[in-house]
Amino acid sequence: MTISPESPADRGPENTVPKNTVTSAAWGWVVRQAQSRAQLAGLAGVLLVLIIVFQIGNPIFLSSGNIMEMLRATTLYFIVACPMTLILVSGGIDFSAGALFATGGVTAGLLMVLGIPWPVAVIIGMAVGGALGVVNAWLSVRLRVPPLIATLGMFFTASGIITVITGGNSIYGFPKAFTDLGQGFLLGIPFLVYYAVVIGVVFWILLEKTSLGYDARAVGGNRAAASANGIRVGRHDFIVYGLAGAVAALAGIMGAARLSSANPAAGGTALTFQVVTAVIIGGTSLFGGIGSIGGSALGALLFAVINNGLVIINVNSLWQNIFVGVILVSAVAIDQARRRRQFSSRR
Amino acid sequence: MNAADRSTPALELKNITKRFGRVTALEDVNLTAYSGEILAIVGDNGAGKSTLIKAISGVHHQDDGQILVDDQLVSLSSPADARAAGIATVFQDLALVECLDVSTNMFLGQFPRRGWFVDRQRMDTESRRFLDELKVTVADVHTQIGMLSGGQRQIISIARAVRSGAHTILLDEPTAALGVRETRHAADIISNLRDSGKAVICVSHDMEFVFTTADRILVLRLGKVAGVREVSATTREEIIGLITGTKQEAA
Ligand SMILES: Nc1ncnc2c1ncn2[C@@H]1O[C@H](COP(=O)(O)OP(=O)(O)OP(=O)(O)O)[C@@H](O)[C@H]1O
Ligand SMILES: [Mg+2]
Repeated sequence: MTISPESPADRGPENTVPKNTVTSAAWGWVVRQAQSRAQLAGLAGVLLVLIIVFQIGNPIFLSSGNIMEMLRATTLYFIVACPMTLILVSGGIDFSAGALFATGGVTAGLLMVLGIPWPVAVIIGMAVGGALGVVNAWLSVRLRVPPLIATLGMFFTASGIITVITGGNSIYGFPKAFTDLGQGFLLGIPFLVYYAVVIGVVFWILLEKTSLGYDARAVGGNRAAASANGIRVGRHDFIVYGLAGAVAALAGIMGAARLSSANPAAGGTALTFQVVTAVIIGGTSLFGGIGSIGGSALGALLFAVINNGLVIINVNSLWQNIFVGVILVSAVAIDQARRRRQFSSRR
Repeated sequence: MNAADRSTPALELKNITKRFGRVTALEDVNLTAYSGEILAIVGDNGAGKSTLIKAISGVHHQDDGQILVDDQLVSLSSPADARAAGIATVFQDLALVECLDVSTNMFLGQFPRRGWFVDRQRMDTESRRFLDELKVTVADVHTQIGMLSGGQRQIISIARAVRSGAHTILLDEPTAALGVRETRHAADIISNLRDSGKAVICVSHDMEFVFTTADRILVLRLGKVAGVREVSATTREEIIGLITGTKQEAA
């Protein structure tokens, strides 16, 4: 009776099925593939058109040096976007990312200046970020503060604390071994790009292959049903927000290594909004359940391409925001249309 | 028809009380369910049937009273606890995750793993096998639940509870969204559960279904147990009398 086109092995001899069921199953598969790829394909198309336009405008655009520059500009945003994708898929949001980014850099930076070995400083910096992420989860799970508010509160509190501690000043004087991690190249490609690829692969595996990712889609798709069916939704939140805090802090630490300084104002609202926007443009639903790391990578890349390309073809980079705004709203409109088509029509 | 082993109850509730603010949804409810038996729970709208199911399945925690599984006192403070205690539930309102496909929904909260990873292949083949065994016609286990009809969803929730391998199966209005043929199909599945030795508790408004499928009937009225009857020793008139309160329990 079954015909799932991608696994003909399921077809047992007893499974005789009316012809129309076969075709409707096959058609269903085609439609699903098209739907799940449509937004990504659309985004890839937009990227491609932009790349062509910029390349025609100035052939320097696709030079290897400029490509590296765009990749490097994408990396830190993309790294933060990975756990953000996991959180959005789980039906949450994390507006504290930009502040935890700065907190990571400042914490590790202060410790290094105090003479703590850099690997220890990095680990403590990530642990502090992770702990603040856990506080985010605690606020929303235990105190029932909606994640939007809990993480926004965390944003201001964490930014405030590190600004007070540093007096608002940047921290300098890191060991060379540490700054090399953010500034080195291997085979002509910045280390940072490798880190981003590794983190991207790890999060892709987490989201697509592990029960954390399956739980995320269930919790984001229907939290009450997920809970009623035995998924420990509170525990899930602690894991994803904690992970997000640690990874945001790690990205901030990498940023500090790249610039040889840690600034309490690094990241901030700009990074937070850019990351959330990149994730949503990448097809991850603000309403949970749906999303992909690949989409977030494209979304993050889009920012770098627009930003860099406009400069290269001598258009005032202030135009960037207009592009981003239009693309963001289009992405969400597409998501809404998709949800309406899929979930409400049969209710 | 009744092959139940009545020596030890699979599940026993003692004096369960549950309040929502000022509403007392359940008051001093006692219930015993045996392996190899179908216990039907009937009652008017708002009688507390779903609340009772949710207390047993860990969604609600009772304010008072005790739950025993196999004569052991258990504390079911979450649905995951109930699962661990061998209780699976088909909820009236919290059934499935719409944006996920059939096989993922069949394994919610219990994803099969190979090492660190979810074993997607096994999830698909087992879902397929279960649905085929239960003669549920779903063309493709990769279909999103949101694309299915209410009746199809209902059957899949039932199939999922069967799949979970739990010893005690709770069903809250499993036939509410079903047509005549599908209702008979659900009744067959539920009877098979009983025959394979499961303890089944089933909430239903459908008297025809209750009288043809269940072994015993527990009537809830205004949050209290109005009576428990053997199906073989009662009539619809008596049950309806207990539901509406025109007939009072003698004891
Ligand atoms: N989460 C809740 N919060 C507050 N009151 C509730 C809640 N759930 C149920 N109640 C109340 O408890 C009582 C019993 O509700 P319940 O859903 O158990 O009834 P039911 O017997 O399942 O009815 P139906 O046949 O309509 O499904 C009702 O008065 C209802 O309003
Ligand atoms: Mg009910």
